[in-house]
Amino acid sequence: MGITILRLLFYVLIFPGCLFVTAIGLLLAGIDRKVLARMQRRVGPPIVQPVYDFFKLLGKETIIPHAANKTAFLAAPVVGFVSLVVLMLFIPVFSFSAFSGRADLIVVLYLLTIPGVALIVGGSASGSPYAGIGISREMVTMMAYELPLILVLLSVAKMAGGSALCFSLSDIVAWQEAHHSMIAHWQLIPAAVAMLLVIPAEVGTQPFDVAEAETEICEGPLIEYSGAPLAMFKLNTALKMFVMTALFVALFIGGIDTGIVALNALILVLLCIVLTVLCMTLIHAVTARLKIEHLFQFYWTFVTTLATVSLVLVWLGL
Amino acid sequence: MFKKMIAKSTAKSPWIYHINTGSCNGCDIELVAVLTPRYDAERFGFKLAGTPRHADIVVVSGPITSQSKERLLRTLEQVPEPKCVVTIGSCPQSGNVFKGSYSVEAPLEQYVHVDVAIAGCTPKPEAVIEGLYKAAEILGKKREAMNQ
Repeated sequence: MGITILRLLFYVLIFPGCLFVTAIGLLLAGIDRKVLARMQRRVGPPIVQPVYDFFKLLGKETIIPHAANKTAFLAAPVVGFVSLVVLMLFIPVFSFSAFSGRADLIVVLYLLTIPGVALIVGGSASGSPYAGIGISREMVTMMAYELPLILVLLSVAKMAGGSALCFSLSDIVAWQEAHHSMIAHWQLIPAAVAMLLVIPAEVGTQPFDVAEAETEICEGPLIEYSGAPLAMFKLNTALKMFVMTALFVALFIGGIDTGIVALNALILVLLCIVLTVLCMTLIHAVTARLKIEHLFQFYWTFVTTLATVSLVLVWLGL
Repeated sequence: MFKKMIAKSTAKSPWIYHINTGSCNGCDIELVAVLTPRYDAERFGFKLAGTPRHADIVVVSGPITSQSKERLLRTLEQVPEPKCVVTIGSCPQSGNVFKGSYSVEAPLEQYVHVDVAIAGCTPKPEAVIEGLYKAAEILGKKREAMNQ
């Protein structure tokens, strides 16, 4: 009994939980900034820059505006952080997974919306009109990427489950070990591309950061945040980078297994770095920010079509 | 150890908020030039923040017109501690060519403490980077002073 509790604590606090996610998330954010700078022919900040930003914000004064609802204002970033850590516990590191159940894909889908909702709650609690515009945009963004994301998850579930849908992430990974990785099946390549395009919207990086557009609506929902709560929100963005890319690895590149957990974790981190550069930094470097209606149009036409093509192909059993 | 880490990070991650108080746009362009690939101030951790709440360094340009003075002071109050005020160009220091005008309330030192003043009309980007870097060092010292 005691050992079980200790093991669970280790899961939550250290390995797939808190410490691991925070460290790798900040590393990914640093690599993103450095590679982006190199792509623009700049020297760029050091890779540990997000760590500096995080500690600096912890040391700043926290101002709570008069118009704000104090509890919701301060609780929102913590709720977002906790949901992201729980999310990572469900995502398998190849054959190893901290928690697994029969339908964790659905739990993952719900948990993925919580950081976005936390941003909306925090923004609306701050009582700023700029935050009002920001949260309405955040809601539209969530609606835009949620549809293709669900279609992608459905096609992966159908592929792994055969006649019945398979909603267990560890079963999906086991299926990929038995057959090939999902990405090696041609029917799922459009779904993988759709998922790669969903990741930057979920994280909120450059062309899809309409909700936090700092040049037009002064960072939207984050406008009134300062000090430690802002540090948490910035950390959440970094964690989302890691969690979303790790989810992509689990869904599409899950067929690699070395048998050693530490080595698996290392491969996962390397794959996440590659994916971050591919789907976030590269797109960031070559595009400018979209308008909200163009973002919506892009996701509900182009990305949804890609996901639907995969779904139909898998459903027809080709 | 934690407090040392925070003080060190404060000096290494200064976020800038820029406020124009009737400047001719010359200094504003030089400030933007500092962030472009040629001068790349981001290598010291500088980042342009969208709101005064996120800022560590407030960069003021322009000769403080009567209309903008009140707004400037209100913006400075909204910046969380520790913070630094940097003036860029000769205008906020002395009024420059606008000195004596009925609508200009130039020396900013009358109203708030200015940590670094970068002179010149307009200062070169190299001078702006040096001034901002000095401000970042002051920021770290201010944070250390807050620990004691």
